[in-house]
Amino acid sequence: MRKLLHRLKNHSRLAYFSLWFLLVFYFASFFADILAPYHFDHQFRNKPYHPPTKIHFFDSRGHFHIRPFVYNTVVDDPVFKTYREDHSKIYPLKFFVRGKERKIFFFFKTDRYLFGVDQPAGIFLFGTDNYGRDIFSRLLYGGRISLSISLIGVFISFSLGMITGGIAGYFGGIIDQTLMRLVEILMVFPSFYLMLSLRAMFPLNLSSIQVYLLIVLILSLIGWAGLARIIRGMVLSIKEEDYILAAKSLGLSHWKILLFHIFPNTFSYSITAITISVPGYIIGEAALSLLGLGIQEPYPSWGNILSSTIGNLRVLGDAPWLLLAGIFIFVVLINFNLLGDALRNVLDPKNW
Amino acid sequence: MCLTPKTGRMERMLEIKNLSVLRIERKKSVPILNDINFAVKEGEMFCLVGESGSGKTSLALSIIRLLPKSFKIAYGEILINGKNILGINERSMRNIRGKEISIIFQDPAAYLDPLFTIGTHLQESFHGKMANKKELISLALQEVGLDSEIQTVYPHQLSGGQQQRVMIAMALINKPSIIIADEPTTALDVLTTRQIISLLNAIRLKHSPAMLFITHDLELAMEIGTRIGIMYRGNIVEIFRPGVQKPYHPYSKILLGTIERKNSKLVVGVEKNKFYNEQISQVCVFFDMCDEKEENCKKIIPFIWHNNETGVRCIKSGRNTQV
Repeated sequence: MRKLLHRLKNHSRLAYFSLWFLLVFYFASFFADILAPYHFDHQFRNKPYHPPTKIHFFDSRGHFHIRPFVYNTVVDDPVFKTYREDHSKIYPLKFFVRGKERKIFFFFKTDRYLFGVDQPAGIFLFGTDNYGRDIFSRLLYGGRISLSISLIGVFISFSLGMITGGIAGYFGGIIDQTLMRLVEILMVFPSFYLMLSLRAMFPLNLSSIQVYLLIVLILSLIGWAGLARIIRGMVLSIKEEDYILAAKSLGLSHWKILLFHIFPNTFSYSITAITISVPGYIIGEAALSLLGLGIQEPYPSWGNILSSTIGNLRVLGDAPWLLLAGIFIFVVLINFNLLGDALRNVLDPKNW
Repeated sequence: MCLTPKTGRMERMLEIKNLSVLRIERKKSVPILNDINFAVKEGEMFCLVGESGSGKTSLALSIIRLLPKSFKIAYGEILINGKNILGINERSMRNIRGKEISIIFQDPAAYLDPLFTIGTHLQESFHGKMANKKELISLALQEVGLDSEIQTVYPHQLSGGQQQRVMIAMALINKPSIIIADEPTTALDVLTTRQIISLLNAIRLKHSPAMLFITHDLELAMEIGTRIGIMYRGNIVEIFRPGVQKPYHPYSKILLGTIERKNSKLVVGVEKNKFYNEQISQVCVFFDMCDEKEENCKKIIPFIWHNNETGVRCIKSGRNTQV
């Protein structure tokens, strides 16, 4: 593993950076309970569409403070939602503040967050939305859903695709014909409409965890067909290779040959395909959420944070920080693509 | 010594009786091997020589039952240690492959999986008890003259000779009673060829497996083989002992002429574009090219054994066998 990292670094600095960048994203979402200053449904009712909070080192009289601080804000214009700072009191930024108890993934409890400020002031790194909820916290929590949906979905659809394609390609004949016709039936539907109709088969009033699982399932059921076809093609050519004949002559069983010789040799393609398809799941989830069929409020996902923006055109001009969810999706997408490209070369022993 | 042969084996290890193989095409079937009969004994180096397309590799693949799907064994028997492997199911065949019979292929670079280290390859080919796995692997490597450290290396990092040594180690590791070497030196240079050949010879003398050495190089076969089988268009036309007998069959003489460079007239391309399946039932396989043909040759020529070990598929063999 360390060797692999080293090779990735030597092969492409950019991809190496992407890997770390993505790890930071995943790490941040995983530990959102600690890192986020507010819970995702915590509302500041008097601070909707609040712009990102300014963090100060100098107070209004020009004195320098070592500990950065924020001012409380009050509504200046209730119609256009403009705020002005109340300079009468400073609220220093505190680290490891104590607050309401949160559960980290049902197991661990924590009542300390990485940073925060005392009420009634608020620290909104990326501003707030129409209910006065902190966008930064919601993006962290939302990343948990968006990023994990993509990983689980990719895992399911790639297992399905590899197994189906592998079996069809290796054994051939009637098995191949049957499986491939099934795949083709799945492929003739435009994937977006298939996604919508699959979602429409289920009721709307599901609990959030049910919706989450449902979306994972729908996305992975759509994604595997194309992969199965390509893997089948690769297996068809790999099984004619001499080293497969050699493996057979050693007395290995079909399953061993398929698992240990044929699948690993498709990895040069499938690793790339996996990393490149991850963004597709994030976007798929975003698309469902955008239409209100995905993760429901108040639970955040990058998709529904973005969708609350699109619903209201005024926001685009007055509260552009709400579009940050889109930028997050974009950044993760680019990094996955860069990483996938480099991984293909790095995983091939011939390039070492 | 761990790699000594087991006792109590049948004397004839590999025996092939009346083997015929067809390639099934859309409407017709093309004979690939026709009426192959021979046996390889313990400790023997039986060399099969023939030009490309004569069916040498098909024969090797039918012995381990890994012929491509379009090939079909029409009739005959292949006996490995007295057991006919054509009658058993795939699962028991799998137990024979690698364990009782192993094969060394032509181009080691293509026959080693590029994604796995040499150590993984060796572990995979090992079928014995897990307890002494490591020991036996390094022993096998030592025997083929490789360092134990080579296990962490990937195939493409090795030279052709080293790769072939790895293949030999893989073939050796289960102490098989039969080793088939399918043109193991074709992809190698002259010096490496020498090394590999002497290695194979050393292995033969040490463990005395039945060795079937397939090559197109008659000179090499004359040097190392205890017996040589000459193949022509899917038939074994002659089996002889080099050094003891001279080959008799006209085709064998042509081949020999190419080594000695005496008989330049005979070095003519053998016609390949003609399928011989139409003629096979009527005349001798070598009829078209033969300089010594006569009217009697226009019939099926059986393989005439001189004793149990040598013989020739030629009508004149009865008249002039000793040289």
